[in-house]
Amino acid sequence: MKALRSTGLVVVAGVVVVLVFGQQYAGSVFVLAVCYAIVTAGMAVQLGFSQQIVFSQCVFMGAGAYGVALLNTHFSMPSLLATPVVMVGCGVAALLLGSVVTRASGLALAVATLMLPLIATGYVSSAGYLGGSVGAPLTGNLWNGSSTESVAIGNGLITVAFLAVAVFVAVRILSSDIGLELYALGADERTAAAMGIRTPRRKLELFVLGSVFAAVGGAAYAGTQLFVPATLVDPTAELALLIMLFVGGRRSVLGAVVGAVVIQYLYGASSWVSVNILIIEGILLTVVLLVDPEGLAGILASLLRRLGASTHATPATGVPATTPVVVAIPRAIPSAPFDPPTPSTPADPDHTLLTCAGLGKEYGGLTVLDDVTLALPARGLFGLCGPNGAGKSTLLNIIGGSVAPSRGRVLLDGADVTRLPPQLRFGLGVSRTFQTVHLIRDRSVLDNVAVACLTSHRSSIVSRIARSALAQARASAADTLDRLGMAAMSGRDVSSLTLESQRMVELARAIAARPRLLLLDEPASGLSEQQRHRLGELLREFGDMTCVLLVEHDLDLVAQVSQRIFVLAGGRLVFDAGPAEFRVSPLVNSLLIGEFAPRRPLGG
Amino acid sequence: MKLGNLIIAGLTTGSIYAVFAVCVSVWYRVSNILNLAVGDFAMAGALGVDNLYRVKSWPLPAAIAATLAVVIVFAYLYDLVVLRLAQDGPRRQEGIVITFFFTFALSFFIDGVAKILFGTDVHAAPALWNGGSLTVASSLHIERAGVLVLACALIIGSAFWLYIRYTLGGKAMEACGENPLGARIAGIDTRRYRRHIFVGTAVIAAVFGIVESPITGFTYLSGATISLTGFIAAAYGGFRKPGRALLAGLAIGILEALLGGYVSAEYGDTVLYAILAALVLGWPRAMGFESAVSG
Amino acid sequence: MNPVNPAAPGSPAAPGSPAGSATRAGSATRAGSATPAAPALAVRGLSVAYGDMVAVHDATFSIAAGEACAITGPNGNGKSSLLMGIAGLIRRRGRVEIFGAVAPSGDVRWAARHGLTLVPERRQLYPGLSALDNIMLGCYCWTSSLRRARNSRPFGTAIDLFPELKGQLRQQAGTLSGGQQQMVAIMRGLASDPKILAVDEPCLGLAEAVARRVYAALAEIHEAGTTLIVVEEAPKRALTICNRRVEVRNGVVLDTP
Repeated sequence: MKALRSTGLVVVAGVVVVLVFGQQYAGSVFVLAVCYAIVTAGMAVQLGFSQQIVFSQCVFMGAGAYGVALLNTHFSMPSLLATPVVMVGCGVAALLLGSVVTRASGLALAVATLMLPLIATGYVSSAGYLGGSVGAPLTGNLWNGSSTESVAIGNGLITVAFLAVAVFVAVRILSSDIGLELYALGADERTAAAMGIRTPRRKLELFVLGSVFAAVGGAAYAGTQLFVPATLVDPTAELALLIMLFVGGRRSVLGAVVGAVVIQYLYGASSWVSVNILIIEGILLTVVLLVDPEGLAGILASLLRRLGASTHATPATGVPATTPVVVAIPRAIPSAPFDPPTPSTPADPDHTLLTCAGLGKEYGGLTVLDDVTLALPARGLFGLCGPNGAGKSTLLNIIGGSVAPSRGRVLLDGADVTRLPPQLRFGLGVSRTFQTVHLIRDRSVLDNVAVACLTSHRSSIVSRIARSALAQARASAADTLDRLGMAAMSGRDVSSLTLESQRMVELARAIAARPRLLLLDEPASGLSEQQRHRLGELLREFGDMTCVLLVEHDLDLVAQVSQRIFVLAGGRLVFDAGPAEFRVSPLVNSLLIGEFAPRRPLGG
Repeated sequence: MKLGNLIIAGLTTGSIYAVFAVCVSVWYRVSNILNLAVGDFAMAGALGVDNLYRVKSWPLPAAIAATLAVVIVFAYLYDLVVLRLAQDGPRRQEGIVITFFFTFALSFFIDGVAKILFGTDVHAAPALWNGGSLTVASSLHIERAGVLVLACALIIGSAFWLYIRYTLGGKAMEACGENPLGARIAGIDTRRYRRHIFVGTAVIAAVFGIVESPITGFTYLSGATISLTGFIAAAYGGFRKPGRALLAGLAIGILEALLGGYVSAEYGDTVLYAILAALVLGWPRAMGFESAVSG
Repeated sequence: MNPVNPAAPGSPAAPGSPAGSATRAGSATRAGSATPAAPALAVRGLSVAYGDMVAVHDATFSIAAGEACAITGPNGNGKSSLLMGIAGLIRRRGRVEIFGAVAPSGDVRWAARHGLTLVPERRQLYPGLSALDNIMLGCYCWTSSLRRARNSRPFGTAIDLFPELKGQLRQQAGTLSGGQQQMVAIMRGLASDPKILAVDEPCLGLAEAVARRVYAALAEIHEAGTTLIVVEEAPKRALTICNRRVEVRNGVVLDTP
């Protein structure tokens, strides 16, 4: 199991170093590095893996350290006991602060959290009880032994124990199904929400997790160094943490640990290095990132992969395996018979699933939708057409939940879901594809589809430390891919597929969720005649089982597969009837076919 | 008049932030990279001139020319070697790593070199315009260096604005950042533009460091703080609009001065940062933040 | 080894077009000259590979001046790679000549400056710039003066191509609809005063009415004497204005007259 392996590695290495080096210089640097490693492990989860650009870990490290120092100095609490107290206190503070801060995303989040070290520095330097701009001393070691040797070893072992727990928790989370949620969240927050991931909650959980890890690291720092410098909350301290994380490997927990160790040893390596540390750090970071953006962990992983490949793949004839070959690009839609998965509850064609009542949407002064009313039953395939700019995508976004209408209501099974966010609508059975492909790069097709099969949405992030349901989600995804005849590509990296194949993966993902309402945004775009034909068959099959709303420009395709077609023009619903009327309607013809009369008549 | 003097002081420091914000913003527009070393180039400029002039007794014009020449060559080589490999090399990089961390590492490198060459004390380049502070309207005081700073900021800001708006080259430069592939199709040499803008912003930063260092002294570590403020001001300008970055820099400078004067000298900065955080969290779109950064 | 394939003399470029093409200077010269003029585009042994995957294998064909050639074939079989390789946007092996001048490999700007302009797949506009700026940047390959670009003939012709867009030119290109963006992309291509205009998948994602409008404009451009290359997955529409067809299957060019 991955987590046990990583933790075991940390424990063994840590114990060995502590016991061998004891209170010598190498040993004390190691203990310091471990304190930082606890912080960077949390950063690997929050910053690296889930791409939450948060710059406040140094503040919480400082909070943990100062907390232990104060409890020790003023309340004579032993540092070891003070650690969980500080952990809980910082956890609560992080919860409060995070609920405000994580409302922002991306760059806004980065700038907001960048303010925190600046504010903290200003506060700390003027706070007398914290020792002002110098710092706070304390006398309580983590381990109160009789001799300096036993104190050093005790401190070291306790810190390693903290790190081991941190690594275990981090790796368990990352390799669980919630780990897949977090990765998807980091890749694209909006798509993740459309796939049912509770993004606000996850972001808050990540913030608390990163902060608590940092606090524990800070507590260990205080209990081993016996002095909390005010520079611990400085922005430069945050920069130092970032260097440790990125040199080691931003997405790898073990990498983050290694990074901390490497950098700390670098600081103390020799007086020459100390003097030139800035130059060395600058060059080190640049070179490492140029070689592999995933840092030392990435470099090691590539080396291992290449070693593994070379020992396995020597062909008997000695002919190199990589002669350039004219590759027949695999067709996007396979020819095997398919059998799409059914939604969990059978669909009653007489039951009205979706009602849009008087929807209107304005952007600034521009009216994009005006009094759109339609109803869809629980089964069937429906087309939505219209000239560009008519509001089709907006309507789809409103039904999907990523855009709120200015007026009107959306009812699902009679319940008003107008203000319900996309992730909760996903839970009610609404699934969709997008015009531009939004898959998670450098993950396999299987994992991308599995995002839609996750059952962990309502669980908290810590619940996965015990039990992970990732295998079940992957099995579900494999089942869908199988039924669609796409099993052959399930292991392939999504970024290596052609655009048409990627579209099919998006479709598979939408279908894997077993939706009751499937919203498709121009799925045929870029597909060939033959592929469109197959897509049409697939859609018709699916329309027999659930409700599909299809936005498309290919009028022939829409007329062939839909049982009813809606046409939007200028934000208004101007046509709502069957395909037979669609083909002959003069209104439709003028809108969609004859709108721009060619300068001279074209043949064909 | 306290308010007036505060505002002038705020405008002066604000101009400093503003120019660096513009450098960050323009460079980001072209390359989608944030130049976090912009303050370090400024520091190198100031300390370099100081060193050559005061310690080695070069004449001032020679000191300035030599320092800028070194900055130009170094920036050119850095882009040629490192950034080209990172952006166009066999392992193309995208996203947060390249956006932040290469120039982040560069700033460390420059600081380290500066520490060795110039030591750890506070220094400043000599004032280019000598004399005491000027008095305007009988109670408003402004340092001569402050005037230079303001003038430089206005000149630099307007020059960029005119370039982008009214020359084909300026539009081509924008196209590089908007869509590198599309730019190449139109025959625009994106690499050359990026390199020129990188070197250009480095030189502007260095020049500006020389001009404003009489106001604030520099140590080898000052670069980091300036880069930080440049980054923050550019962020409030949305990173892509140099004009807004300029205004954001000025606004932050004035706000800082007012808070320092009216609230408290000690906690003024802290309150400033709290206000900035609140603005970002409360009104992200109004403050110019797009909803998400890629990668 | 390098078959020069002139169009059959007098063959109409746009069937049904009242103007007819027999009067075009190009075909008259071709029909009457004893020796064929240098082809607009001559491709010999062109190969494009992405790592180990070969996208285009040993392509050889040529297009005469004034022709309208459709490059067809199933999606994913190398049509776009062929065009990008010809335009110099991706690494290629082989020989490309534009009006007799040999194109150096790897020089992105060479093709644009020697008369071959590409209107790429998915348009590749500059979304934050206005449509007008986008079009003006088409002039970049032959001038560096904004004023000269604005007052030039190619720019004027480009703007007049789709007069229905005149009101929207100041809008940001990213806010225009797909069809309008395609029009802007073609206008940008035209502003570079090309001798050869290569358009890759002009109707991707466009409604039927808009697609017809785009093709009408392409026919107009061809009428004016520009050599046209259109990459399309479905040959039906392209052949309404093209008199020459090159089929690409699995990276291999099958030259069909």
